[in-house]
Amino acid sequence: MLFQDLILKLHEYWGHYGCVITEPYDTEVGAGTFYPTTFLKALGPELWKTAYVAPSRRPQDGRYGENPYRFQYYFQYQVILKPSPADVQELYLDSLRAIGITVEDHDVRFVEDNWESPTLGAWGLGWEVWLDGMEITQFTYFQQVGGVDVNPVSVEITYGLERIALYLQDKKHTYDVEYAPGVTIGDIRRDFELEHCAYNFKHVNAEKVRRWFDDYEEEARRLLELELIYPAYEFVLKASHAFNLLDARGVLGHAERQAYVQRVRRLAEATARAYLKKHYQEVAK
Amino acid sequence: MNLLFEIGTEELPAAYVSRALAHLERLAAERLAAARLGFKTIEAYATPRRLALVVRGLPEASARVEEERRGPPEKAAFKDGAPTPAATGFARKAGVDVADLTAKDGYVWARVVHEGEPTARILPELLTMLVRDLPAPKKMIWGAGDGPFVRPVRWLVARLDGEVLPVEVFNVSAGKTSRGHRFLAPGEVEVDAETYRDALYDAYVVADVAQRRERVVLETTTLALSEGYEAVLPEDLVEEVTHLVEWPVAVMGSFDDRYLELPDEVLATVMIQHQRFFPVRAGERLTNRFIGVSGHQPPDLSVVRAGYEQVLEGRIYDAYFFWTEDLKTPLAEHHKKLTGINFQRGLGTMADKAERVREAAQKLAGKLGLDEGVLREAAALFKADLPTQMVYEFPELEGVMARAYAEKQGLNPRVAQVLEDAVRPTGPDAPLPETPEGALLAALDRADTLVGFFHLGKKPSGSADPYGLRRAAAGLVRILGRTGWAQPLEDVLEVAAATYRARGLEVNPEAVQAARAFTEERLESLLTEAGLPTLAVRAAQKAPSVYGKMLRARLIYELMQRPEFVELTRLYKRAANLALQSESAGEPDPALFETEEEKALHAALQPTREAVEELLQRGSGLLPPWDPAAPLPETGLAPLEGPLAQILALAGALDPFMDNVLVMVDDAAVRENRLALLRGVRDALGELGALELLGA
Repeated sequence: MLFQDLILKLHEYWGHYGCVITEPYDTEVGAGTFYPTTFLKALGPELWKTAYVAPSRRPQDGRYGENPYRFQYYFQYQVILKPSPADVQELYLDSLRAIGITVEDHDVRFVEDNWESPTLGAWGLGWEVWLDGMEITQFTYFQQVGGVDVNPVSVEITYGLERIALYLQDKKHTYDVEYAPGVTIGDIRRDFELEHCAYNFKHVNAEKVRRWFDDYEEEARRLLELELIYPAYEFVLKASHAFNLLDARGVLGHAERQAYVQRVRRLAEATARAYLKKHYQEVAK
Repeated sequence: MNLLFEIGTEELPAAYVSRALAHLERLAAERLAAARLGFKTIEAYATPRRLALVVRGLPEASARVEEERRGPPEKAAFKDGAPTPAATGFARKAGVDVADLTAKDGYVWARVVHEGEPTARILPELLTMLVRDLPAPKKMIWGAGDGPFVRPVRWLVARLDGEVLPVEVFNVSAGKTSRGHRFLAPGEVEVDAETYRDALYDAYVVADVAQRRERVVLETTTLALSEGYEAVLPEDLVEEVTHLVEWPVAVMGSFDDRYLELPDEVLATVMIQHQRFFPVRAGERLTNRFIGVSGHQPPDLSVVRAGYEQVLEGRIYDAYFFWTEDLKTPLAEHHKKLTGINFQRGLGTMADKAERVREAAQKLAGKLGLDEGVLREAAALFKADLPTQMVYEFPELEGVMARAYAEKQGLNPRVAQVLEDAVRPTGPDAPLPETPEGALLAALDRADTLVGFFHLGKKPSGSADPYGLRRAAAGLVRILGRTGWAQPLEDVLEVAAATYRARGLEVNPEAVQAARAFTEERLESLLTEAGLPTLAVRAAQKAPSVYGKMLRARLIYELMQRPEFVELTRLYKRAANLALQSESAGEPDPALFETEEEKALHAALQPTREAVEELLQRGSGLLPPWDPAAPLPETGLAPLEGPLAQILALAGALDPFMDNVLVMVDDAAVRENRLALLRGVRDALGELGALELLGA
């Protein structure tokens, strides 16, 4: 199955189930969870089902393309079901069948993984799903988002698209995965990955990025004052990415790293509170 | 009657399953007893997808009991032979007729009968509450707010003999069917107390934990043996794997043997942490095999094996990549990159920290008689593995990597060992440094952290300890206790403070004192956990060195177990208090003694001093330095009887003195002379500790 067909199959499966198929967001994020369609929609009473591809950036995870699995840029496939349905595990296994994985032929396991995003002030309980030892999906019941307890509960299903494609196409390296007929992921991303790795690890101008972080933080605060939640949140995302760059560049000691995490978290929490207040007149506990 | 109760869930955390098993059994026994339902046996079962109880020998109904319930005083209950509202109210509440109340001991009594209730009527509520009350460290809600439970509950089975009990929890109603293995026997399986274990086994679920565990171990061991190897079976991993699968099937795979160049610790960490695979040993070293335990037996196991191999290959490749990259640079060069890693705002970078520790170590090395050459070389590389990629990825390999890289780069093996030691202990029960040079670096690293953070005023509050200061302090006293160094704790912290001051950071003495007090609290907590009384430890804190404190705490505890010690400490407290009035410092002058009591006390001082000295000396021989986080040494202390008796005998001279001699007389010379005697008492016993804390 071509990489692009994998995406189409998942769209088809979750679209039929009743999810709104939304398109990727245009600000750098570390994971699909950061999308407003997850982070903000998980808050409040509104019911919501969505699925989308989330191109994600994790500067620290880059390996110059040398590791078959680890990249600083990759795609997640994100599904949010709110409230979580009772047969969600079966739904998920059916989605694997839909993309051509005969689950009965493999060792498929749900291994505890309590997800926590310190920068988003969010946590949830759930699993990593292992396919013959390979983590292919994160499965999380959100309990708190932006520091706010959530109810109804959203379940988040995050597929690692490249890993699944490796499996389906029986390839050893992500670059060898066929994206479209005659075009591999390597064709599309090799240079992008190399150059970004070089940038992330060696050429991030730490002094400048620290300044950017300060500016983004200030801007987010200013916009929250104006109750412009979405623009404010975008600056939270930018601040978070700036922090990730500093982290990859290796200039943060443990304590300083913690301080940055706290700063992003406070912004995310302030955003969640402002969102609830504006849209649901709810004052978060 | 026999009960089967099963809670069907989505996959439970492996770490929770065995705990849940114990909780469930205990809680069920408690609740049944409270409901006056006897039973013969309780069996608990657990897999990742279910927790279950089989209770055998339940009665048809709960026990009938009679109770004599006390009511109001007789006088208040009846006026002129007629019942008052107090009596009628009591009778109504107790459910008896006023005429049936009896009088005894000045009160009225009602005989209340609790009739037995059918078991089938008691159990639904009891089982519902069992689900709700099952303790768990972390519970969740799901859907539109169902729960909380550890993971979503998806089915329930509640059967009393053949009957289904009407239990409903979290919008799930109990039935008579369980579910088999997710893939090998999908669908429902009818079960009851008699058939549970076997019916599930037939549905590819080993519900019995011990049986499943045995199978994991047996399958793994046998598979390794089949190729002449030995499976490495860490207890924690066996436990976890047992609770990750319902139907264990071991699968052995291999990886490229060029990766055997990696240290065993790295390979094992990758396999265990990332994949929950068992490492496989060929003799002393690991070999290029691993064993994974699948939770499913698919038609073709080689598919699973190929998957395991591929994913492990990726993981090990990563580690190998770090290894080769890191090795391209000499450790000394890695060490320079510490300038790019901040330690803490206001306390500089890790390079600053390493440099401070190096300097402090040099100051103390001579006093402790260490190998200064080895220390110098190791100190110059201290924390050099911190900027390496391997340690960034696997922080728990800090130290291990410094050792491995140092060895690989041809450094003195002793230096390599010191570098590994210098991060120890890595946890509350983790091993301590083996080399004294490593111990010194490890101790000073912690002292540096404590002094620095106390200088910044970042003291832990409540249970929060974001900077790991409790861990640092516990590590420090464990190292100093185990080495037995005579260096006062305060001096160790002071040396660390001086290195800050030498760099222009004016650490004030109060910060050092606060760090010392905080560190002493950790010692107190470790020693009291090991079984020493708090007061013994507090009294012993007066000794300057950590081992000195530990030894004295242990010896004071020995004294506290003797009844005469109570009297001695009472007297000592008064004597030591009075001695504070003394205005001079001379020895008592026998020429000025006016009473027999003075002479007797004076005569007792020298033997007491000697006894205390002997006690400490022999004590340190019997109780050589130990790790305060470990259980107390079990050495018999019989050889200490002599000095202990001699010390306790001081009460014989001190008691008459305190009773009969007026110390604060007008004659200044006599008064000072008597105070000098009391100072002698204080100095002699005070060597053991602040015994006044023990006096009533």
